[in-house]
Amino acid sequence: MFTTRRGLLVGAAVLTAAGCTRETAHIITSDADLTAALHTARTLAAAAEALGFGDFAEDHLTHAATLERLLRPNVVADETGELPADPAALAEAESSGSREAGDACLTTDSDYAVVLGEIAACRAAHAAVLT
Amino acid sequence: MTAVDTGLAAEYAAIYAYSAAAVHLDGDPRWIAEELEAEHRSRRDALLDFYDEHQLEAAPSLAGYDIEPISDAAAAQELLLAVETDVTTAWRAGVASSEPNEREICLRMYGESAVTLARWRLALGRPAADPWPGRPE
Repeated sequence: MFTTRRGLLVGAAVLTAAGCTRETAHIITSDADLTAALHTARTLAAAAEALGFGDFAEDHLTHAATLERLLRPNVVADETGELPADPAALAEAESSGSREAGDACLTTDSDYAVVLGEIAACRAAHAAVLT
Repeated sequence: MTAVDTGLAAEYAAIYAYSAAAVHLDGDPRWIAEELEAEHRSRRDALLDFYDEHQLEAAPSLAGYDIEPISDAAAAQELLLAVETDVTTAWRAGVASSEPNEREICLRMYGESAVTLARWRLALGRPAADPWPGRPE
């Protein structure tokens, strides 16, 4: 069929354009660490907003938006856990969230170590200020 | 130069800057600055322990560091804000390390430096909130 070099090249181009070449299939899975961080970010955002710490809520919403973008095309259902009832409980939730993100930062073998570390550091700072 | 070396150098520079700046401060900023300087010294000591535990050679502090002239309290406050930001940025970079021990110590120091940065911002009457502490703009 392809008796000349030009014919071979043209044939390859036609086959490629027609989608007849083999491509590696990618199974898109959600990153468990990012998903957990997203759930916690949403819960902390709702809690901080409810308790009047709007600037901290903004930090968490920024984290959530970034995590949602990193997780695409997966969409994580928007569900928040039980909200802390007062600033002391929020501080504890921030500390817990910091440990969660920090542990994920240390164990992840993905490229997301820095973003998880940033989230851990931000939550630690919130907890310290609230305490 | 490793990420820990860079962080240790930033801690040395912070201690030097606090020593020069604190005398220009009064009231709450003064005593908060003294507390934060103590935290930097504590982190320096923890880092030197880390070097010992891992049979690594820590660089000594320099005799002096290049800092902006301090003419008054406002200059001292701004200098320390810049120093805290630099320290946090240095530790944040270390979190990307693929060496587990290095990433762990850098993450610990990064968290602590983010707390220090937030406390100093509050001392200056500025918002403590920052979604990405130490991230270069």
